[in-house]
Amino acid sequence: MQTRLKTPTLRIDPESPIRFTYRGKECHGYSGDSVASALYANEVRIFSRSFKYHRPRGLFSLDGESASGLMQINRMPNMRAEQTLLQEGMRIEPQNVFGSPDLDLMSVVEKFSPLMPPGFYYKKFHKPYSLWPIFQKGIRKAAGLGRIDPDWDEGQYDALYLHSDLCVIGGGLSGMTAALCAADHGLRVVLLEARPWLGGFHDWQTRSSGTGQSAYQTIRSLAQQVVNHNAIRVLTNTYMSGFYHDNLITAVQTDTDNNLHCQNSIEIRSQSVVVATGCVERPLIFENNERPGVMLSECAWRLVRHYGIQPGSKAVFSVGHDEGVEAALDLADFDVEVLAIADSRHDPLPESLSARIRERSIPVYQGWAALNALGKTSVQGVVLGDLKENTTRKKTFSCDLLVASAGTHPAIQPLLLAHATPSFDKETGVFGVKELPPGVYLAGRAEGYHQDKGLEASGSLAGLQACHYCGKGRSEDVLKTEKELNSLAGRSNPSKIVRAPAQKNNGAGHKNFVCFDEDVTVKDIRRTIDEGFDAVELCKRYSTVGMGPSQGGIPGMNLPLIMGEYQQKESGDVLPTKMRPPLQPTMLASYLGKKFQVEKQTPLHVIQKKSGGQFMWLGKWKRPRHFTAEEHVPFEVKAVRNQVGIIDVSTLGKFRIYGPDALNALNFLYVSDMTTVRPGKLKYVAMCNEDGCLIDDGVITKIGTDDYYFTSSSGRAAETLAWFRYWTREKNWEYNLINLTDTLGAINIAGPKSRKVLQSIVDQVINNEALPYMGYQEVSLHKKFRAKLLRIGFLGELSYEIHAPASSLQSIWEELLDHGRSQGIAPFGLEAQNILRLEKGHVIIGLDSENKTTLSDVGLGFLWDRKKKDCEAIGIPALRLTENQEGRTKLIGFEMSHSQKVPPDFSLVVDQEIRGHVTAARHSEVLGKSIGLALVEDRLAAVGTSLQLYAGGNKDACLQARVVKTPFYDPEGKRLKM
Amino acid sequence: MSFLITCPICGRRSVHEFRFGAEDKGDRPFGEKVSPEELYAYVHERNNTLGLQKELWFHRDGCETWFSIWRDTSNDLEQPIQQEEICKRD
Repeated sequence: MQTRLKTPTLRIDPESPIRFTYRGKECHGYSGDSVASALYANEVRIFSRSFKYHRPRGLFSLDGESASGLMQINRMPNMRAEQTLLQEGMRIEPQNVFGSPDLDLMSVVEKFSPLMPPGFYYKKFHKPYSLWPIFQKGIRKAAGLGRIDPDWDEGQYDALYLHSDLCVIGGGLSGMTAALCAADHGLRVVLLEARPWLGGFHDWQTRSSGTGQSAYQTIRSLAQQVVNHNAIRVLTNTYMSGFYHDNLITAVQTDTDNNLHCQNSIEIRSQSVVVATGCVERPLIFENNERPGVMLSECAWRLVRHYGIQPGSKAVFSVGHDEGVEAALDLADFDVEVLAIADSRHDPLPESLSARIRERSIPVYQGWAALNALGKTSVQGVVLGDLKENTTRKKTFSCDLLVASAGTHPAIQPLLLAHATPSFDKETGVFGVKELPPGVYLAGRAEGYHQDKGLEASGSLAGLQACHYCGKGRSEDVLKTEKELNSLAGRSNPSKIVRAPAQKNNGAGHKNFVCFDEDVTVKDIRRTIDEGFDAVELCKRYSTVGMGPSQGGIPGMNLPLIMGEYQQKESGDVLPTKMRPPLQPTMLASYLGKKFQVEKQTPLHVIQKKSGGQFMWLGKWKRPRHFTAEEHVPFEVKAVRNQVGIIDVSTLGKFRIYGPDALNALNFLYVSDMTTVRPGKLKYVAMCNEDGCLIDDGVITKIGTDDYYFTSSSGRAAETLAWFRYWTREKNWEYNLINLTDTLGAINIAGPKSRKVLQSIVDQVINNEALPYMGYQEVSLHKKFRAKLLRIGFLGELSYEIHAPASSLQSIWEELLDHGRSQGIAPFGLEAQNILRLEKGHVIIGLDSENKTTLSDVGLGFLWDRKKKDCEAIGIPALRLTENQEGRTKLIGFEMSHSQKVPPDFSLVVDQEIRGHVTAARHSEVLGKSIGLALVEDRLAAVGTSLQLYAGGNKDACLQARVVKTPFYDPEGKRLKM
Repeated sequence: MSFLITCPICGRRSVHEFRFGAEDKGDRPFGEKVSPEELYAYVHERNNTLGLQKELWFHRDGCETWFSIWRDTSNDLEQPIQQEEICKRD
């Protein structure tokens, strides 16, 4: 293990060492290390093998811009070593490796690379088709990423929903300046930073910042100010993943709670956004440009300055930007022997830099770049060459570190996600955007500024513009800062070259990797274009360039330039491909978030649970299916038929509608005649949609002048208000509809003895004269509670619905059980209710009807008021049209030939073809036979028709049934009126 | 898809609070002489406009009001109220 260098800018804590294992071997790092830096310090040079050719890959960038650093960490596959913080006891394994990364058995694949042009999977492996599964297995194994461990440790995935006035993406100098400026003007600011700390690229610079302090000291005290500001919420370790309409930013925060299984998914709805994402380095493209030992200048520089690691002993630099040259000079001060600096730009360096170079007598090659990296599994040398045409001047150096970079490129990906159109800036040779979305501002290096003054001024300007957009601050300030910014030195001029010219190379682009993730070379791209995939989006898909885990991070901005060059187009004619979220690979678990299952409980939930209720889902509700055991159901049924039972029906929709136009609304929404609704009486009514299909039924009564109380089915309760308001939206009717579903609970008490039990708690007289069948009465219970009594007969016995305030319902339930004990009262659940209503042939909408079943189809045509004209209620024209239509599906009752055989629900009705299905079937003890309801084609609907029911299994094993009249039980309805 | 919608009562809110109610084709064809074809077309046929469309929304998680907005279906964004709407309100 290397001893770490002591530099003042370190981001590791040399006092707190950390132990971890790599391939089972114990290694050491320090708190603050990323997995990648710790491995590099432990002399690991080959991090992984490439996707296709199994070429060795090493540390290239520290911001996770390529798939080279994907590893299996604590059994989690595809973790980015560069962005994962090292923790005590981490177990790290390489992935996509056969043997070890240093000696990979599959690396022989590369020998066959000429046989593997782009698209070779599509071309080679599909004939004969029967062999594909074999190939598939082999290819998946060879070109795999990590392995999913079924025993993975489950983590915490929280979601944060933030609202802000300003969201700043990027916590560098200009991002922080913008945030502070906006926060000081009263904006609420959220600042996102992908690295674990604020500071951006100033964080490791020791040059003087002009205030008597070094750049890193200045930026760190600025960061402290930002963190301490009350109006700024700083989220570090947080990368932006999406940018949606009206400035909705999504982001993912990793390593929360110091656990790599924990991630926060963050959604920020922000009025304004400042994009201060800075720059990414563009890789220089040359022969073997991804050999371990080749790295970006920022990577080499940060290894020294942030982690105290010497990246190599003999280094050659091939760069195209001033910061790259500065990195070379800085490394030279840390005992790295810099053999040469090749600068791909032709203009001479600024005097400040050239003076420092002369001091250290480092040879500089202006207008030169790396042509070839030498060495088999790691860099052992480099060939530098002159980029001018018509020269073949070359020079070979032997070295163990090649810092290669084609300069910086603004990180405009967030803007492309926000649907901004990309454009090419001919002056600077980089891609920008044409027009920013409203409320979005660009600042800092992403905008092209590189000097501190420009970064600061552009940050202030963006902050002020955001303030102005949010209605704060003064427009004079914006203009003043704008003027100030314009007076500063222009944008810097990075190198335009991304690729050393091909004629200087032997292989003509054969090992010039454009996309490291998918092993796509310059030659592959040319071949793709030659095959006709000449548009940038097509080329991307066919050659798979930029489609790997880094999501176009490295090749994204290079592909259009390489294509443009080969197609001899004007630079800028070919634009980058469309960006789509997520910008970085994101765990599915963090999208899923915490697993919540929301259930609605009735006011009787707790007490029913105590009585042994076995609950089931019914829509969003939890309701008891039966009490105690399944075998208990016949007992519950018997109690209702012979004595008395109670069931919780609080889920029923309960509504009050009042106002001068209440009757108009009811009459328009229901197909029944609502003008005949009388006080003290219940009317059974039905509601259809425009197609005449039954969507709801219930009872209604009048409770005052222009004042009605009505019920809807449980499933329809949530929808009723929207439905009423939808259909009356253009009518200017004056009415109020109040949803009382959750305010009132409901109990159904049913059975021959129900009146006796109920009377013992009701203060008023409720005999057959006072409250007849389909009667309605408002009563008091023990002078304590007020309740509505609805005498209805859904279950075929004397029965009452008690609607009472939810808070009183539990007491009423207990009272009923108390007073009914001597009568043999029993609570019953949904299963018993299903049998009871089935015996009566009553319809449950949605179970016994489908989307296409009309009111007439289920046999409830009598609810339709024929006097209503087509325009007077929804569904009337369709009802008229379909009433005598042939070929419709009808709901019928059937009886099984064998009294003990019951077809499962949803069994098919068949002859040679499927003719319908069973909606519900049960054995009825009271009738001594098995009965059911089925939706069948109309020609099978006549009473007496025999039906074959297919219940699965052997196709000859059909059950026999016969269509009969409903109701099965008490056809005259005598028991309802007792 | 995640944009903002202006509810006439509650103001600009996230689209997730609303329920989409298809394009607003105006009032239902009424009167006794509506042919089944006409009614069918009104109920089931959609113009599927690419571009500016008048459509109905319901503020499900809010004031529970139906209202119409103009929205550009090519970029999902709500557009400022059209001239005819302003006339209608006056």
